[in-house]
Amino acid sequence: MDIQFAGENLLPGKLGQFFIILSFGTSLLSLIAYYAATVNKDKSDLSWSKIARYSFFVNILAVIGIGACLFYIIYNHMFEYHYAWAHSSTKLPVYYIISSFWEGQEGSFWLWAFWQAVLGLILIKYAKTWENGVMTVIALSQLFLCSMLLGVEILGVKIGSSPFILLREAMEAPIFSRADYLSLIPDGNGLNPLLQNYWMVIHPPTLFLGFASMIVPFAYGIAGVWEKRYQDWVKPALPWSLFAVMILGTGIIMGSFWAYEALNFGGFWAWDPVENASIIPWLTLIAGVHVLIAYKNSGHSYFTALFLILISFILVLYASFLTRSGILGETSVHSFTSLGMSGQLLVYIFVFVAISVFLIVKHWKNFPITKKDEDTYSREFWLFIGAITLSVSCIQIIATTSIPVFNAVFGTEIAPPTDVIQHYNKWQIAFAVAVAVISAFSQFLKYKKTDVRKFYISIAVSFVVSLLVTAAVVYITKVYTNFMHIALTWASVFAILCNAKILGEAFKGKWKLSGSAVAHIGFALLLIGALVAAATNKVISINNTSIGFGEEFAKNNNPRENIILYKNDPIKMDRYTVTYLGDSTSGVNTYYKVNYKAFDDEGKVKENFNLYPNAQQNAKMRQIIASPDTKHYLLHDVYTHVSSVPLKEEEHVHDEHTDHSEDEHYEEPVPHEVSIGDTVRFREGMIIVRGVNKNAEIENIALTKNDVAIGLQLDVITESSTYKSEPIFLIKGNAKVDFGKKVDEAGLKLRFTNIMPEKDKLELTVYQKPKQDKKDWIVMKAIMFPYINLFWGGTIIMVIGFILSIFRRQKELK
Amino acid sequence: MKKSSIIGMVIIAIAIGVIMSTYADSSTYGSFGDAQETQKELHVVGTLVKEKEMVYNPEKDANYFSFYMLDNQGKECKVVFSGAKPQDFERSEQIVLTGQMVGSSFHANKILMKCPSKYTEDQVEVVEVSAQAKI
Repeated sequence: MDIQFAGENLLPGKLGQFFIILSFGTSLLSLIAYYAATVNKDKSDLSWSKIARYSFFVNILAVIGIGACLFYIIYNHMFEYHYAWAHSSTKLPVYYIISSFWEGQEGSFWLWAFWQAVLGLILIKYAKTWENGVMTVIALSQLFLCSMLLGVEILGVKIGSSPFILLREAMEAPIFSRADYLSLIPDGNGLNPLLQNYWMVIHPPTLFLGFASMIVPFAYGIAGVWEKRYQDWVKPALPWSLFAVMILGTGIIMGSFWAYEALNFGGFWAWDPVENASIIPWLTLIAGVHVLIAYKNSGHSYFTALFLILISFILVLYASFLTRSGILGETSVHSFTSLGMSGQLLVYIFVFVAISVFLIVKHWKNFPITKKDEDTYSREFWLFIGAITLSVSCIQIIATTSIPVFNAVFGTEIAPPTDVIQHYNKWQIAFAVAVAVISAFSQFLKYKKTDVRKFYISIAVSFVVSLLVTAAVVYITKVYTNFMHIALTWASVFAILCNAKILGEAFKGKWKLSGSAVAHIGFALLLIGALVAAATNKVISINNTSIGFGEEFAKNNNPRENIILYKNDPIKMDRYTVTYLGDSTSGVNTYYKVNYKAFDDEGKVKENFNLYPNAQQNAKMRQIIASPDTKHYLLHDVYTHVSSVPLKEEEHVHDEHTDHSEDEHYEEPVPHEVSIGDTVRFREGMIIVRGVNKNAEIENIALTKNDVAIGLQLDVITESSTYKSEPIFLIKGNAKVDFGKKVDEAGLKLRFTNIMPEKDKLELTVYQKPKQDKKDWIVMKAIMFPYINLFWGGTIIMVIGFILSIFRRQKELK
Repeated sequence: MKKSSIIGMVIIAIAIGVIMSTYADSSTYGSFGDAQETQKELHVVGTLVKEKEMVYNPEKDANYFSFYMLDNQGKECKVVFSGAKPQDFERSEQIVLTGQMVGSSFHANKILMKCPSKYTEDQVEVVEVSAQAKI
C-alpha cells in the first residue's frame, strides 16, 4: 500500500542523490580516462586528457551539489531526512549547523571528498607533465570516497551510506504508517553538546584538508615509479608533503585545543585512540619529508623516502578505518559509531596497499639505491636516523592503539594498559629526546662530509649554554622530580639554541635555512610546553574537609580532586579564595559563576576574576554535560569545570512547599530581644535593626483605625551583599499576628514576634536554614596548567616555519 | 659491518622492546572473581545493578561514589570510585571498570561506560498532539 505522506519535501534529497550518483560516475570516468592518458604512448594525443579533465570538473560540481543539498536540508530543518533529524535541531544556531554537517560519517566523508576535489583542481592547473599520473591516483581515491556516500545495495551488499536517506526509510516505527507522521516529529535529535563549540566549526575542515592533502605526495610517489621517473617526483612532492604536514599538524592541535577548552577530561592530550589515529600518519610524513630532503641532496635513502611517503597515506586510510569502523568500541570515548562499512574501508586500504606493493616490487631493480654507506658526520645520515626514530615512535603508538584490531583478528582478549597515558609517555618522551637532540646538532652538519673539528666547535657553545639554561628552566618550572623530564627539557633547550644560531645566520644572508630553523624551534617549544603542562599541572580543588569513609578508603589515598562550593560561601583553594556566586541560564546551557580571588601578603586583592564553567542540564534524563572555562594568563591557566550540580528539576520541588511545613526546613528558631540600632549575629553575617515603621501596610489585609501594624526595618548583611527586610507585627483587635519575611539569599526567615513595652524591647525571631540545603551548591574541579602557552605558541611558530619551507621548496621547482 | 645493518638491528631491538612493553603493560579483562585472586589492576566489564543503592552525596564527600555492578559471570560486587559520579551514569548499558579489589569491594580508578547516547540512538521521540484542552 502506498501512503501519500504529508509535508515531505523530497526534491532536495532526490537532487542530492542524483549528485551522488553523478560524482561517483564522473570519478570513475575520470579515473579511466586519466589511466588511458598516462599509458598512452602518443603524447600529442590529448583526447583522453580532455575527457579526464572535464569529467573531473563535473565531479567537483557534483560534490559541491551534494554539499548544497545537504546544507539546504539541515538549514531548513527537514526532519523527514534522517541526517537532519539525527544531527540537528531547530534550536541550533546557524553556525553550529555547519558543525552538525560533519558530525555524521557521511558528512565527514563528503568533506574529505570536497577537499580532495579542490586539491585535484589545483593539480590539474599546476602539475603540468605530472597531471595524468598523479590525477589517476587521485581519481581512484575520489572514486572510493564517493562510493562511501552511495547508499545503494548491489547483490545484497550495501555500498556506502547516503546522507539523503529518509527517516522513515532508516527506521522502523509504527508512526511511519501514518500519513501525517511528520507533524509528530517536532524536532531533531540535535547536535552533541560537546560539538557545540566554535573550534568544532573549523577543526574538522582543517583536519580533513590535512588528511586529503596527504594523498598528493603519495600520488607523486606512485606516478613517479609508474612512469619510471624515479627521481623526478621528489622535487614536486616536497612542498606538497610540507603542506600536508603543516595543515594536518594544525588540525591536530586545533582538536587538542578544542579538547582543552570544551571537554572536561582535564588536559590537551589523552592518548585516546582517535587522537593517536590522526598523529600516526603525521609522524610518518614528517619523517618522510626529512628523508626526501636527504635524498634530494645526497642521493641516499631513496627507498626509505618512497616508503615513508607511501605508508603515510595508507596510514591515513588505516586511521579512518580505526575511527569509523566501530572497532575501537570499548577503548575510545569518541569514535564514530559503526555504519557497517568496515568492509568497504578495508577494500579501500587493500587496493592502495596492493598498488604500492606491486609497483615497488616491479620496479625495485630500477630504483636509484646507493650501495655506499653515509658518512657518520653527514647531514643525510642524521636526517635518516631522525626519521627512523620518528617511525619507531610511530610503531609504538600503532602497536598500542591497534590492540582492539589484534583482538578482532586473533580472537584474543587483551585489554589496553590500565594507565594509558603513563604507558605512552614512557616511550614517547624517550623518542622525543632523541628527535630533539638530532634536530639540534644535525643543523651544523653538511651534506656528504663535514669538517669534524668545526662541527664540534659550533655545537660546543650551544651545548654548554643549554646546560645552564636547562638548570634554570628546570628550577623555574619544577620538573626536576623525574630524570626523563629533565632530559627532555635539556634536549628541547639544546634544539632551540642550536636552531636559533642557524636562524641568526639566516638573517645574515643564509635565508634558505630559516624555515627549518623556525619549525624546529617551534617544535622544541611545543615539547617543553607539553612536558611542563602535562607533568606539573596541579589539581587545586583538593578537598580536605570531607568526612572520611573509613580506614579502608583512606588506605588507597586517592587524591580527592573535587570540591563542593556552597553559594556565597568562600573556600580557600591553593592560593585562591573561591566563591560560587550563582547560576544563570542561556539557551540550553547553565553557567555557574565562580569567583577567584588571590591576595598578596598585605591582604590586598592581587587577582580577581570570574569563570563560567557551564553544563547542559537535561532534567528529564537526569544528566549534565559539563564544559570547562579557563582563565588564561601568559604563564599559566586556571581551568575549571563542574563535576556535579543540583538538577534543576529538584529545585522546583522545594518551592512548592506550603508555609507550614517550610518551617521544618529551618533550624530551631532563636528569639532575640532587640532595640533600634542593635546588631544580631547569625552564622553567615549579621542583622542590624534600623528602625520601626509605624505605618506598615500588609498586602490583602485592610487596616482599620484601631489596628496597629508595625514593621521592623532590618538590614541583613552577608559577606557578599546587604538585603533589606521588614517583618511586620500586627495588633488587630485583641489578636496579635505577625507576618514573617524570608531572605532566601541568606537562608533566613525573620519574624517580628512581640513588642515588650515594659522592657522597651522588641522581639525578633530568626529562623536559619541548616547548612546543607540552605543554598545552591556545585561540585567542581580546578586544575592549574603552567606554561601551557608554550605548547600553543610553539605550534604557531612551527606552522610559520612550515610556511617558510614551503616557499623555499616551491621556488626550487622553478 | 655496514652501518645500515647496525641501525637495522637497533631498530629491530627497539621494536621488540616496544611490543614486549605493550604486552607487559596491557591488562586483562576479568571478573570480580578474578579480581579477588590477584593484586594486579584489571578491567571488569559488567552492568549497573539499578535496584541497589547508589551513593553519591557531594555535600558530604564530593569524591566518594559507590554502586553495585553485576559482572559478566553474574557476580555482584560493591564498587567504590574516588571521584565525582560520572554524568549520565544511570543510563549506562555497559560499564568497564579499571581497578582492583580492596577487601570486599572493588576500587575503581577509571570508569568507562557505554550509553545509549541520545545522539546515536535511533529512536524517534514522538510528541502526540492532543486536541484536549488542559483543565
